Amino acid sequence: MDFALDEEQTLIAQTVRRFVDKDVRAWAADADRAGAAPPRLHAVAGDLGFFLDAVPEAAGGLLDGAYSHTRRALRGYELGRGCAGMAALLETNVEPALAVSRWGSAEAQRALFESLAGGGLAVTARDARGALDVVREGEALRVSGKVGPLPGLGTATHVLLAARTGEEHVLALVPTSAGRREAVTPSAWRAGAWGTLTLESAAVPASMVLARGATAVDAITEVLTWWKASMAARAAGVATAAMEHARKYAEERVQFGQPIGRFESLIRLRDDADTGAAAVRLMAFHAAWLADRVRDATSRAAAHDAASRARVLAGDVVDRATIDAVQILGGYGFVNDYPVEKLMRDARPFAQLLGDERFDRILAVRAAQGA
Amino acid sequence: MDIFHDNPMLAGVRQMLGAFARQSIRPIATKHDQEESMPWDLMKMAQGFGMTQTAVVDGRKALTGKDDEGEDGNAKKPKSQARLGVAGSEELAYGCAGICLAIGGSGLAASPVARMGTEEQKQEFRRLLKGDDEQGHIRVAAMALSEPSTGSDISGLSTTARPDGDHYVLNGHKQWITNGQSASVYVVWANTDPSAGRAGVRGFIVARGTPGLVPGRKETKLGIRASETAQVHFEDCRVHKDMMLGAGQSSEGLGDTKKMLDSTRPMVGAQAVGIARAAYDYLVERVQGGTMQGTPLAQHQRVAFELAEMEMEIQAARALVHKAAWMADHNLDNVRMASIAKAYGARVAQDVTSRALTLLGEEALEPGHPVEKWYRDAKIYDIFEGTGQIQRRIIARSIFGVNPT
Repeated sequence: MDFALDEEQTLIAQTVRRFVDKDVRAWAADADRAGAAPPRLHAVAGDLGFFLDAVPEAAGGLLDGAYSHTRRALRGYELGRGCAGMAALLETNVEPALAVSRWGSAEAQRALFESLAGGGLAVTARDARGALDVVREGEALRVSGKVGPLPGLGTATHVLLAARTGEEHVLALVPTSAGRREAVTPSAWRAGAWGTLTLESAAVPASMVLARGATAVDAITEVLTWWKASMAARAAGVATAAMEHARKYAEERVQFGQPIGRFESLIRLRDDADTGAAAVRLMAFHAAWLADRVRDATSRAAAHDAASRARVLAGDVVDRATIDAVQILGGYGFVNDYPVEKLMRDARPFAQLLGDERFDRILAVRAAQGA
Repeated sequence: MDIFHDNPMLAGVRQMLGAFARQSIRPIATKHDQEESMPWDLMKMAQGFGMTQTAVVDGRKALTGKDDEGEDGNAKKPKSQARLGVAGSEELAYGCAGICLAIGGSGLAASPVARMGTEEQKQEFRRLLKGDDEQGHIRVAAMALSEPSTGSDISGLSTTARPDGDHYVLNGHKQWITNGQSASVYVVWANTDPSAGRAGVRGFIVARGTPGLVPGRKETKLGIRASETAQVHFEDCRVHKDMMLGAGQSSEGLGDTKKMLDSTRPMVGAQAVGIARAAYDYLVERVQGGTMQGTPLAQHQRVAFELAEMEMEIQAARALVHKAAWMADHNLDNVRMASIAKAYGARVAQDVTSRALTLLGEEALEPGHPVEKWYRDAKIYDIFEGTGQIQRRIIARSIFGVNPT
């Protein structure tokens, strides 16, 4: 077992950290107030390889060989330290690009990769509660219902949709032009270009259906593994950032004759949060490492289980850490002069997007039990 | 023990304010949260229910308009003001905690006037709150205690009140002041004798428009955004000595303000209970209509047991705030119980709203979702009126007799 980063991993982590400390953190407060990422994000992040890192070179992207989820988790942690909303935008193309590369038809690949190479975004959606009406028509699908709200969907050209017909699971690529897209700005990840997509009996041709049945179950499992590992890494970054801000404040703020950081109760809040963030970070890295080594059903299940467990803990840890960071800053934490109230808002999607992870785990066990 | 049953008056207040919260507060809550605006029209309407800005000074039972001189008119018998306060606070916060605070914000300033003010000062306070202001809004009051460097540790107040003939000259900066921009009258805490430390702290009634009183920047907050929070600055602000609370009488200085905070904690805890109940009720309704993989959500233990735990927490928190209020109404020392009720209520509000969001998932990420707003609102209850850490310090000191560090 070796926990040390190799040269390339170290370089990626250091490069993204510099980008985060220099640019992302400087932009974060204004982006949050404006409800939009700064226009130069795309150019600056694009120069660092974001947006096209999962698109094959042959299709105009930067991916040469196998994709590394481990490297993605490393950068995700750093991005979480900067701004969860911008991080969502920078990471949103990965799952659609990898899934379409792996399971998509030539037509699906052409449609998505041309869009992404032209600066477009794609998002991943999962119909966790069966709210969509998905009907099979031969090899094609017809979809009705509302997708989202999801980060990136406000401007995305395509949605990688994991859903169910009455009989089977399906994984499909749906162009957002097939429905009515609406940009929205929730309280969290406000730089994330959120949106919803309302589909009214939208036709999804067979060429855009990436997988169905047992193949779709495996494909969706892998897509969710990638997504959950990345989300957990970013959540660990948000929790870490919350305590970085809280520590700095607690060292300077004096009450009752001493810096408040010396009070045992606040030391405990910080220490518990740091412990949780460290655990989530390791679990996310481990899940990503396993995702890089999926070869069969057993390794696929192991990677997904690790990513799912990382996400469960990540949701709890980032929620608690950001609430406690606001607590440490007290009245200053509750107003937007300091970054922690934004971090508390930003914590929520980690436990809410694409469904309740604990519920998923329970349902999976019951399904295995034949219940 | 009569904390387990509402008497007819309490039941009536619950019913009336519960209906007010559902029919009048809830429909406008999202708008005022998003716009960060005070609900002035509703505040005027609330006056019609007896929720006047001077009710505390008038010594009347809020909402009933009767003198609170003890049950059966006997001053030595138990009063009901505290129990009325917690019942009403829970109902209003059930509608919207920010609007609840907007309606009741003047009470923070009125409380020390009622406790420490002379009859002349009470009359002046009432006069300054009479009628509408230049914007056509009802007049409101602000309690100016906290300072940029003085949050939890109020003994470190740096605002000074220097004697100068028949006046005091106030200098300093106040922070996190409810109604700080809009108030027609301020109750300002300043030190008349810094060498005396906390014993030198006194409260002053200062009218809006007094030269040197400068309302400052309004804060953008995580929650309770319908309640205005602002800075207030005092720059050589001259206040007549007659406007010093308890002028000519003995005062415990800062000790008086601490007693005042003790008295409001059950109500603050009750507001937190109201937020938790709002999220719980929303979730119950949502679960009753939902299914997951063909099975009603209510039949999934993952969902139903979460709600059962929320119900346990809410019931416990409500029992605590009512016990603290009952003790106050029976003239019993409730300092420990008030802190327990406030700290526990805050914890429950945060816990219930957070768990509710997780269960609701993506749908609660919609802009303007009420549970997301309640989650943001809940956090302040662990911060203002004494943080959770301050409450635990009070509780621990009451157990061991020393302040733990």
